[in-house]
Parts: sequence; C-alpha cells; structure tokens
Amino acid sequence: MSKRKWATAGAVLLSAFALAACGKSGSSDKSAAPESNVKLPSSYSAKGSASGNNSTLKLAEVNDAPFKGITLSVLQDNAEDADVYAPGGAEGLFNTDKNYKIVDGGLANQKLNRKDNTATITINKKAKWSDGKPVIAKDVEYAYEVLANKNTTSQQYSADFNRIKGMEAYHAGKAKTISGITYPDGQNGKVVKIQFSKLSPAMSYAGNSFIWGSVVPYHHIKNISIAKLASSDAVRKNPVFVGPYKLKSQVQGESTTWVPNQYYYGPKPKIKSITIQVVSTSNVTAAFKAKKYDFALGSLAGSQYPDIKKLKSYTIVGSPALSYGYLGFNLGHFDTKTGKNVMDKNAKMGNKNLRKAMAYALDLNSAYKKMYHGMSWQANTLLPPVFKKYWDKSNPGFKYNMKKAKSLLDKAGYKKKGKWRVQPNGKKLTIYFGAMSSNSAREAIYQYSLQQWHKLGLNVKMATGKPMEMNSFYSTIQAPKQNKIDVFSAAWSTSSEPTPTHLYGEDAPFNMGHFVSKKNTELMNNMNNEKAWNTNYRVKQFKAWQKYMNEEAAYIPDDFNYSFTPVNHRVKNYSTSPDDSFMWSKLQLTANSPK
Amino acid sequence: MWKTILRRVLIMIPELIVLSVLVFLLAKAMPGDPFTGSINPKADPAQIHHLMKINGLYDPWYQQYWNWVVHLFHGDLGMSYEYQEPVMDLIKQRGANTLWLAIFTMLLTYFIALPLGIYAGRHEGKWQDTVVRVYTYVTMSIPFFVVLVIGIWIFGYGLNIFPTSGSVSSTASGLGGTILSRLGHIILPGLLGALFGTVNVVQYLRSEVIDAKHSDYVRTARSKGVPMKDIYKHHIFRNSLLPIAAFAGYSITGLLGGSIFTEMVFSYPGMGLLFLNAINYRDYTVITALVLLYGFLNLLGTLLSDIILSVVDPRVRIE
Repeated sequence: MSKRKWATAGAVLLSAFALAACGKSGSSDKSAAPESNVKLPSSYSAKGSASGNNSTLKLAEVNDAPFKGITLSVLQDNAEDADVYAPGGAEGLFNTDKNYKIVDGGLANQKLNRKDNTATITINKKAKWSDGKPVIAKDVEYAYEVLANKNTTSQQYSADFNRIKGMEAYHAGKAKTISGITYPDGQNGKVVKIQFSKLSPAMSYAGNSFIWGSVVPYHHIKNISIAKLASSDAVRKNPVFVGPYKLKSQVQGESTTWVPNQYYYGPKPKIKSITIQVVSTSNVTAAFKAKKYDFALGSLAGSQYPDIKKLKSYTIVGSPALSYGYLGFNLGHFDTKTGKNVMDKNAKMGNKNLRKAMAYALDLNSAYKKMYHGMSWQANTLLPPVFKKYWDKSNPGFKYNMKKAKSLLDKAGYKKKGKWRVQPNGKKLTIYFGAMSSNSAREAIYQYSLQQWHKLGLNVKMATGKPMEMNSFYSTIQAPKQNKIDVFSAAWSTSSEPTPTHLYGEDAPFNMGHFVSKKNTELMNNMNNEKAWNTNYRVKQFKAWQKYMNEEAAYIPDDFNYSFTPVNHRVKNYSTSPDDSFMWSKLQLTANSPK
Repeated sequence: MWKTILRRVLIMIPELIVLSVLVFLLAKAMPGDPFTGSINPKADPAQIHHLMKINGLYDPWYQQYWNWVVHLFHGDLGMSYEYQEPVMDLIKQRGANTLWLAIFTMLLTYFIALPLGIYAGRHEGKWQDTVVRVYTYVTMSIPFFVVLVIGIWIFGYGLNIFPTSGSVSSTASGLGGTILSRLGHIILPGLLGALFGTVNVVQYLRSEVIDAKHSDYVRTARSKGVPMKDIYKHHIFRNSLLPIAAFAGYSITGLLGGSIFTEMVFSYPGMGLLFLNAINYRDYTVITALVLLYGFLNLLGTLLSDIILSVVDPRVRIE
C-alpha cells in the first residue's frame, strides 16, 4: 500500500512478492558511492508520425486501494490523487529546471527581491481555468488562505510560512486576511506581492516551505467554507483545472478521463483523450503484458522489475526517486517544554563507533541488488541522488567492511564476553531494532541486518519480536522519550527542495533519533544563509553536511531507489525530468492502441 | 410471533449501545492517529496537533462518544479523516458496489450449488457423487486469492474477455450503458466467487438429501408408488432446504461485508477494502460506523434466520 505519501514511501512503496535472486553483480569502483547496476533512461520518445493522436492514451495508477478524489493539490495528502489528476496540471505555478530551481515561462513567474524581502509572482497573461475564467491574483493568495485557515483540513501548513507578514495572525484566526500578501494591480489583476520578514535561498526552488507552489480557483470555490472544501462538489465532482487537459468524467475511486483544455495557456495538448485507471500491484505486470496501458503513474515495485524488463514493445524509463531509507539511532529525547531535541549523555547508542560498526557490518549493496534488482541500491548519504547538484557522489558512505566494524567495536571497548559483546563499562548490551511490517523483500533485509549484527557480536533483537505495524512504529519513535527502540529503519519522501532542517534540526520533532550538535545546526543554517544565494556556496554546504552526518553516524543512509515505469513504443515525448514542464501537452501517440 | 419479533428488536438497542461503546473505546486504544505518516515532513508537526484538536481527538472519550451519538441521531456519521468525505457518502458508494457484486455472486452460488447438492445426494456413493464432492473439496482448498489472480490472468488479460479493473467503465454513458458496464465488471469476480464458494451449500444439501432419502415418510411414499421424481420435488427437496433457509438470514445481511481479496485484485472499490484501510489508517469515524453497521446486520441476520425458519418449518414456533 503506497498510501502514506511522506513518512513511509521508501519502505512501503516497494511492495513485492518475489524473493528470487537476480544473481547479477554490477561492477563498481572502490572509492565512489555504490550505484545501481541498472541505468535507466529518463525519457522515451517513439519514432514515427503522430498518427495515433485521435485515440486514447491509457494510463495505470498502481495502487491497492481506490483513490480519494481530492483534486486540489493544496488539500491533497497522498500521491494517488496527485497522479490521477496530473493531466489537469496540479494547479502548478512554476516551471523548473533540472535541479527544481524555479524558472520563468510557467503559469507564473517569480521574482525575489532581497532588498525589500518580497517575492513578486506574475501570472501569465494567457492563463485561464478550464471554464474559461482567467487566473487572477486572488487565486494565488487564496491558496494561502486555504492552507493556513484555522479550520482547514489541509496538512500543508509549515512554520516557515510565518515569515510572511501577517500569516501568524491569520493562522491563529486573529486576522481575516493575510496582510503581507498584496495585489499591486488589484485582486483581479495578474500580480501578487508577498512580504517576508526575510527571504531564504530555498525560495528559489519548487517545493520549498515558504512559497506555496499552486493556485486555487477562487471564483469556483469562494462560496464554500474552507473546512468543507475537501468534501465539496466543486472540488470532487466538477473541478476546474489550469493544465493542458480537463476532466471529462470520472468514476469515484477508480478512473479519470481527460480531454484537451481549450483554454490552456501553454503548448496545445495533442491527444484526444486520456484515461487513468487504478490497477492493483498484484496484476500490473500482467496488465502491461496484455498491453492494456501505455505507462504507469506512480512507481512500480522494484521486485517486479525482472518481469517488466522482459516486456516487448515497452521501454523502461525511470529516475531516482525523491525519497530515501535510513537507519536512525535513539540518542536522546524531545523536550516538549522547550520544543527542542536533547541528546542524553548516557544513551545506549551514544557511542559513534558502535553506530558506525553497525553500519559497516551491513552489505546493503549486495542485499538490495538481490532483493530489488537494481531498482533500490545502497544509499551513501542522507540526500537522494535526484538532487544531482547537491548529492555528494564522491562520498563512499558505509561500504561493507566487517573487519573494520569489528575493530571499531574492539577499539571502543565493546569486548566480547561469552556470546555477545558487552558495553565498555562491562554491562550487558542488548539493542532493540524497530522496523515497520512490509513486503517480503523488505522484511528479508531486516532479517539480514539482524544476522549481520549477530555476526558482529551484537545482541540485536526485534523490538517487539517482529516488524511493527506502521502506526505503532511511529507512535513509539515519535514519543518525546522512549526506550523501546534503539535503532530503527524508516524512510522519507522529500520535497523537491532538499533543505533537511525539518528532519534533522534541533527543534524538529521528525528528528526522531534526537541527534543535535552545534556543527549540525550550523551546517544546516549555512544552507540558507545570505551567502547561500550563491549556488556554489550552497552546494558546498550541502556536501559538507552529508559528510558530517556520515562522520557522526547518528542516521545511517540505507537505500535510494528508482521510480520507474514501462513506456509503450507508441508514446512520443514521455519524460520524467523536472525541467520538462510541458510534458503532458507534448505527449503524442504513433498508433491507435498500445503496440 | 409479532410480539417476539418486537421484543428481539427492542433487545437490540442495548446490545448496540454496548457494542458502540466497546468499538469506540477499542478504536481509540489503537496506537497512532489518522494523520501521522501522511503529513508532509516540511509541514509543521504542530499542524497534526491542530488537526487533532479541531477534530476533537484530544477530548476525553466520553465527550467524544457523546458528540458522536448526538451526531448519529442527526443522521451524521461524521467525516472520514482519510477520505475527507462524509462517512455516509462513502458507505453509500462502496456499499452499492459491494451489494451489486454480492447479490450477483449469491444468486449464482445458489444456482450452481442447489442442483449439485441434490444431484450428489440422489446419487450417493456413485461416481456422480464423487465428482461433485471432489469438485467442492478442490474448490474449497484452493486459496481464493489464487483463484482470482489466475482468473483475471486468463480471462482478463490473456483472453481479454472481461474488464480487469474497477466497477464500471469510464466511458460508459446512459443508464442502460452504465448498467451493462457494471454487469460486465462483476461477471468474472462473481462467477469465480460462485464457482469456488459452493462447498457449504452443496455439502449441507447433500447430507440433508441423504438423510431425507432414508426417512420414514420417503419410504412410505415410495411404498405407495409415488414416482421418484415427485418424491424429490415434493418431499425431499423441501425438507432438505431447511438448514440452508436457516442460513439465509445471515447470508442476506452478510452481503454488505465485501471481499477484500476480490476488491484488491479487481481494483473494485467495495466495503472490504474500506474497512481494512480504515483500520490501517486509524480512520476512527469509518471504523466505528462500519463495526456498528456490521453488528446491527448480524443481529438482524439472526432474527431473520429465526423468522425464515419458523415460516418454512411448521415445527418451529417462535413464542
């Protein structure tokens, strides 16, 4: 089940049946980071004339449950809704380059003025909703009202929005409007000015937590109370869109059907009709074999790759996913009074060498190759490679080295006494490992980890005897103070702006291992300080942080993965690259049905 | 009899109240909350607390329970946290899908199982009986999800005869078109469900027929020279149906239960998956509504079974 978009995507998305070993061993040089032994293209375009544009493009949304049917991205909390309404453009404001940096030419352009700390958003003059009404300044502003309203059902509010003047008062219900958001040429105009207390370099990237990246159709929803928006017909049954396609019909929870939006401001959409249908993970491979679909939205499971690879007349296209898995260590607690994480001096896992030894004892590279056939591979840092510029490719991470692991423990005083090693003070050492129940491939990796740690001489046990159900797992490690789990396996989906402060900061409740250090705070602050407007400087800070985090080993990078789909050989211009902002309108077909 | 029925219905009320309190408490006792895990890590975790608060999830349980009961009596089962839709709407949508499939499957099951049961009983010990028995044992012992996956693989993807996903085609239009499309979508799962779900009915009926065959009234009828065909039609069949009739009440109310496997393999949005996901994602409002609904249906089923039995079997009297 891929439902949980953010907290578990890495671990849970990769559902699987097969444990079959692939047996391929990729060659990798010794110094650099482990990489996947499979290289996937990030785009595909069929050759030949677009003679199939009058037919229907058939897409599969791979999911084991019906989608929920919330069309507005400001209210969505899951990936399925985002997928099945993707041809409608997700009300996206900005185009981006390969590194998710905001560039001109989208629904709106953004200009940051560091002198007076304002962001000016100028909407494309031709931009219209699919009902023919123009996109106006109020549409940009109202998105902030929806996500910050006191009674909203949106889960998107971030403390960073408080940098907008008047936002805090509005969020608390003390003000009726957000005073910092103004319209230089009127509410029905095309310009929005946002006054910040201070700009951040992160604001130049899509997916940042300061500037919301989508609009809402104010004219369409203004009469509905914000609390009831998500359940309203305007959002669920008769939505309007700004993208290249508009919704023709939908079967709630099952499928959506799209036709070109004649009012679209961008390149003219070429395909007469698009259908997106939910297909369960258990038969998506069979569905592609039977040529029922042209490509999938969302990602397929890595364990299905060997079968998908064999498909004739399909090419597998993929790119590293915006997610990664990690192992965290419980090093302290969260002080609810001060709102800060505190490291405990005497924490069981407090010794850096113990943590490092546990990391070096795992041959994750081989394990992932075997279980996920190159669709997941060992991660080297806590930043996924999709951020090409920021990811430190040269960092070797924790390459398997049992010898080193043992000597680290010996040196740190974790001597063997009988079967198991004991703490330097001679006391017994039992480490509790927490993990979420998942598919068989993932659980095999848990078992493998336990086995390796036992080889190392550490008495590591599953925290509750077996992998935990997701809710129990998170309520255990999210408790301000807990001693049931010492080391845990979890995963994050990240937004397209990579600043990790929300996950590893001193005051971040998501910093569930409670790792805090001056250097960590400093490095993360540097990512968005004044100097960080210079990209080279910013990149350096990100790389220094990745290096530092590996040195401290408070969180161990676990796995990166591909998000991939087969693409049928009748599809032209399919791309997964973030700079391909007009992909949906560029899509074409060279035949009337999947080849 | 009416008095008894009324009394039984009245007893249901305290039963349902106790059930609702239990369900309410147990649902809240599960670890976790409806929001953890779905929140964007960039968003403020304070937002989780905010959402918990505005949804009243921090209130003491009795207060939450009371609010819920008050709303219930206004016909409002609350909003689903997961789907952000009224629970009533969700149950209506999913319930309709589930009913379609379940009724179709049930009719098919009886259509296949009744003749088979009688046939096997009539030919007790002969090869015909063996064939039927082997068929029921084989179908019973194959896990149903395997049947579904193989079924969809052969008839859906391989031969391309049946639709493979959803409850209705996205292109279906008009009332007639929609109904036809819906029927098209339930034929394969319904047929598989029926073909592989006959064991209970067949075995019950078979043993009842065998019992009846050796009973005094059949012997008497035969000695009077009544033709075998008529004996089966008028004596054996009717009497053998009694235990099945007794089950009918349960089956009717069980129609809304849904089948998790079928719904998953065929991406068919029904009640089974709704319930499963509600539990997984701590969708409290949906959990309580569904458990209560199933509880009510179970009580109703028992009552219906008793009533049906008293109607078809003159020996049974409800006093």
